[in-house]
Amino acid sequence: MLKPDRSELDYFKLVKQARRLTPGGRRLKLALLGDVSTQHLVPLLRALFASNGVDAEIYEAGFDTIELEALDPASGLYAFLPDVVVILQSIGKLKSTFYEFPGERGNFVVTKATQIEEVWKAIRARTGAPIVQSTFVLPYERPFGNYGFAIADTIHGAASELNREISVRARNNPGVLVNDVDYLAAWVGRSHFIDEKLWSLSKSLCALGFLPDVAQNIVDIALASQGRAVKCVVLDLDNTLWGGVVGDDGIDGIELGDRDETGAFRALQLFVRELGRRGILLAVCSKNTDSVARKVFQEHPGMVLREEHIAAFVANWEDKATNIRRIRDKLNIGFDTMVFLDDNPFERNLVRQLLPEVIVPELPEDPQLYVRAITELNLFEAASHSALDLQRGALYKEQEEREAESLRFGSLDEYLKSLETNARVARFEPRDLPRIAQLIQRSNQFNLTTRRHSEAECEAMLNDEANYFPFSITVRDRFGDFGLINVVILRRQGGMLEVDTFIMSCRVLQRGVEQLAMNKIFEQARRVGCTRVLGRYIPTAKNEMVRDFYERFGFGRIDAPEADGALFGLDVVEYVPREIFIREVSTDK
Amino acid sequence: MMTQVQINEKLNGVFRDIFDVPELVVGDTTTANDVEGWDSLAHVDLIVAVESAFNVRFTTKEVKALANVGDFIRLIERRVK
Repeated sequence: MLKPDRSELDYFKLVKQARRLTPGGRRLKLALLGDVSTQHLVPLLRALFASNGVDAEIYEAGFDTIELEALDPASGLYAFLPDVVVILQSIGKLKSTFYEFPGERGNFVVTKATQIEEVWKAIRARTGAPIVQSTFVLPYERPFGNYGFAIADTIHGAASELNREISVRARNNPGVLVNDVDYLAAWVGRSHFIDEKLWSLSKSLCALGFLPDVAQNIVDIALASQGRAVKCVVLDLDNTLWGGVVGDDGIDGIELGDRDETGAFRALQLFVRELGRRGILLAVCSKNTDSVARKVFQEHPGMVLREEHIAAFVANWEDKATNIRRIRDKLNIGFDTMVFLDDNPFERNLVRQLLPEVIVPELPEDPQLYVRAITELNLFEAASHSALDLQRGALYKEQEEREAESLRFGSLDEYLKSLETNARVARFEPRDLPRIAQLIQRSNQFNLTTRRHSEAECEAMLNDEANYFPFSITVRDRFGDFGLINVVILRRQGGMLEVDTFIMSCRVLQRGVEQLAMNKIFEQARRVGCTRVLGRYIPTAKNEMVRDFYERFGFGRIDAPEADGALFGLDVVEYVPREIFIREVSTDK
Repeated sequence: MMTQVQINEKLNGVFRDIFDVPELVVGDTTTANDVEGWDSLAHVDLIVAVESAFNVRFTTKEVKALANVGDFIRLIERRVK
């Protein structure tokens, strides 16, 4: 994942870049609907997508045709078959609707919010594409001055309440993501962002100079909705998490707690701990003696972060690229999902050169500005959030205990039995859909087809009982809860059952879950009278580990030149159910 | 204080940059029809780029009335003098 630093967000520079793009990269079809002109945005989006390796095809609806496009099943929007639908709405248009609103002013916000929600519903009913809805930039008009806060029906109050409505309703509408344009405007200053002249000339959302910020925000959200996510933050220690060098200054000499005069290091630790709470894994990568570094986490009263927050702790004297590789192996994630924070330009450049996929933000000289610099890059965009995220750090701790346990056993079977693993296998259920959709969006490695079905599509499969048999597996053992970690979608194709999707979290490798899932696939085939199971492997840059997945289960390769990826098949009568050491249960607990 | 020649040169620089044509030359009588790519979209880019290059601000009405490069030059002259 490539992240330009903010100086790259120059309007004229990006327009030039867009002219010189060479086609290539993953295709993404993005539809733009707006009550603003979108032409100026198109080259910026194409250039910014391209710098993320994505070849964006963009559909521009006519000016101010959001409702028409959404409500007409024959509209260009639906013919385009978008992967993402972006809706941009301006305060300029909102103002005129507000001032000319024929009804009671008090009903304006609800009327407008309902209209917006109806557009979402219409789009979601006809496409599985996520919707990226903008907020309204708060206007500067204050007919009551500061006293306006006491008055319910001013344009300022209405716009601000409407933003609130958008965020609340977006939470209740799966697949709707908010593009907080007002945050961008407030950050640079609304007086600079709003441009009356350009609004009059070309119905531009804002001053040209800030369109790249809007475009970058759209790119961030669109890529997050397609599965891009930071999964781990790798932290340097000396002069990053605290001031000074613990090896030289001693545990009592470093700038931390009472000695952290500016509060800069505490501020960074608090922010990083929030990322951990969100489900992003935290790792330490430090040139230090292990025991010296750990002691700070164990004993220093000024530490916000403790060992329990750290999923992988690497402190030694080897180079940082080697150590980051080690962290990646331990956590089983991709380099492009890792962010490396280090105050030292030498280390940053070394990692950039040796591991170009790792995201390495520049950090300012003043530690006081660390959190600001990281936040400005918007590295942690998310498209979903589930209860499991909150416990992810703890899950890796449990894994360490399991590994310690495995050393005590001679045979693998004996060890697996000792884990007392329980699994619940269930057809998709509405309450599981957010987690299922998240796994589908995020999993890259143990993913046979990398088909990014949306939550709405999963819901449709759940309801199509004649053709779809989608199930998930939820696992726990005596050390703790893994949660929902396996998703399989089966589609009936006449007398055959095709595995449309097979995804597993890498945390549960080699303990029999994939064998359990395969047993279930063949049970299902038998139950619905299918005689053959078809499986498909669509190679990507990341799913090499499952290349021979079907062959390991005895499937034969089918020659099908027109097919997507490699196709495999196995007759139901020939499948030998695998022995597993997992007990099936009917509830999670 | 900028001379007419200096304004002309600088303005030509902005045009070349915006339309991405290094050998482009525009003068008093050049209109949007004479320059490939000078549509309403590029017009907005031009205005913003000229304002920034000459460090001036035009009113909305002024930029809406621009019919050719000569109008542009006279508008800039009025602002920088």
